[in-house]
Amino acid sequence: MAISSPPIDQVGALPAQDGWLAITHQFCRRRPLGAIGAAVIVVMFVVAVAAPLIAPYDPVVNDFGGMLAAPSRAHWLGTDAFGRDVLSRLIFGSRTALLVGFGSSVLGATLGAVLGVASAYFGGRVDLYLQRLMDIFLSFPLIILALALVAILGNSIPNLIVAIMIPMVPRAALVIRASALAIREMPYVDAARAAGFRHGRIILRHMLPNVMAPYLIMLTAFLGQAVLLESSLSFLGLGVQEPMAAWGLMLRGAAVEFAETAPWMAVFPGLAISLSVFAFNLFGDSLRDALDPRLRTQ
Amino acid sequence: MTKYLVKRFLLMLPTLLGVALVTFVLIRVIPGDVVELRYSGDRGAVSQDLLDKERARIGLDKPMWQQFATWLWGVVRLDFGTSMWTGAPIWEEIKLRFALSLQVAIMATIVAVILAIPLGVLAALKQDTWVDYSVRIFSIAGLAMPSFWLGIVLILLMLVVFKWLPPMVYTPFWVSPWQNLAQLIWPALAVGYRYSAVATRMTRSAMLEVLREDYIRTARAKGLMQKLILSRHALKNAMLPVMTVVAIEFAFLIGGLVVTEQVFNLNGIGLLFVQAVAHRDYTLLQALVMLVAGLFIVVNFLMDAAYAWIDPRIRYR
Repeated sequence: MAISSPPIDQVGALPAQDGWLAITHQFCRRRPLGAIGAAVIVVMFVVAVAAPLIAPYDPVVNDFGGMLAAPSRAHWLGTDAFGRDVLSRLIFGSRTALLVGFGSSVLGATLGAVLGVASAYFGGRVDLYLQRLMDIFLSFPLIILALALVAILGNSIPNLIVAIMIPMVPRAALVIRASALAIREMPYVDAARAAGFRHGRIILRHMLPNVMAPYLIMLTAFLGQAVLLESSLSFLGLGVQEPMAAWGLMLRGAAVEFAETAPWMAVFPGLAISLSVFAFNLFGDSLRDALDPRLRTQ
Repeated sequence: MTKYLVKRFLLMLPTLLGVALVTFVLIRVIPGDVVELRYSGDRGAVSQDLLDKERARIGLDKPMWQQFATWLWGVVRLDFGTSMWTGAPIWEEIKLRFALSLQVAIMATIVAVILAIPLGVLAALKQDTWVDYSVRIFSIAGLAMPSFWLGIVLILLMLVVFKWLPPMVYTPFWVSPWQNLAQLIWPALAVGYRYSAVATRMTRSAMLEVLREDYIRTARAKGLMQKLILSRHALKNAMLPVMTVVAIEFAFLIGGLVVTEQVFNLNGIGLLFVQAVAHRDYTLLQALVMLVAGLFIVVNFLMDAAYAWIDPRIRYR
């Protein structure tokens, strides 16, 4: 870049280094798929925040006069077995999906990161026991552990977040521990130890910021999984409860029963789940490619 | 080699024991128990005395550690006891349903491998072209669609387009293979597509890595046909991580069928699991979790053993 002389009008204004705008611009140009994913996520956020303004109807009010109505001018995506507007429920459902998705992924990845880094930093016995404990939790399929936890905790939104978060912790810890092992050998960690800092400070201030890349990778990978898990649990009747709007819940019961006569009830919530998870995965994949030089495909 | 395997095998035991302990405690923390649930229909008409007697009959009155010890001693002798809800032997409850879930899992694996390997190789060969992008989008879409929804859509499509509904009553394979496959191929497709996504991505990245190796360049330099390079040199070496992913996913699949079975009305392990949680059927739940987690742990062990066998460097670590 230094060799080719820049156009005259750009000489004066040096590009703001590492500015958010510059990074965003570069990400969009280099990874169009990731940018599409990010755009969908942003739209979802806007919809979720502005739900009461956008939604044409109240998502929980029944209208037994207009049950199972086909998509029309009045109800763009039709109505469900209680006469509730499907579009409005989809819009309000995005709140549930984002809340549970982000809540559990952020908590799960963070707790996993702390455990993973601590495990790598202390090594020896602590590492061995922590790893065995993680092994135990890794042996449960994601959904089965979440299912048992929801049964214990009950199915409010915060409990749902905890139930989905816990199975993610060992998965994050495993990956982040591997990166932290390399960082432990870095001279600056030795220096911090020589300076007499306490363990907690070294872990939080010196090591944790340096596992940011795998942390973000795990976090974005969890987002899609958390949304899927929430919808699966709600579909089984163990997650979000009626009459609250949630995409998985919308696919439960009547949606399957009347799938033939009222397919809009079964099709649209699934599309919403798929689209949002698709966006999370696209964005997460591109972020991983951008952050992890080993996986870079060039 | 033997020493490595023995060490690895012994590491498996504490994990299994830990799984057993965690399960045992977790499910007893779930509010309510099987006795309470069974008599809850009578709305408190049952005396506390009867409840206590019933609890004593199935051993729920003993201290937790004693219950655990009794159960563990049974497991060691491969005796999982009887279901607390139905009273039938656990093995009887699980046998048929496990066969059903296993069949769906195996069929889904076949679907996944058939999809994943050609697509992954193609994407790697045409890296950064529209072919690569399409394969990538196809596989990310597979990860995004909930398989239970895919199941609903599949059934709906068949109903609308072909005016045909797959049989909803289970027929064992040996009774009528066609009837059996006509029912089970749909859940296998729905689950297999999702499952293929992981394997496709793994195939692609493993192939990309292998294609950059020196021995591939050597093979090209000595004028070997592209087809031969791919099948003999590249694919063979790229298969190891792919097989690992497939094996691990397979181990998880049986437990992961929970939701899909609901849609296709399959009376498999997944449905049994949900029922067992609802009934607080401790013995059945414990057996199911041990089955699923045990399968996962054993598959992991076998993969490690296979790695050590294929790659001598691992043994000496």
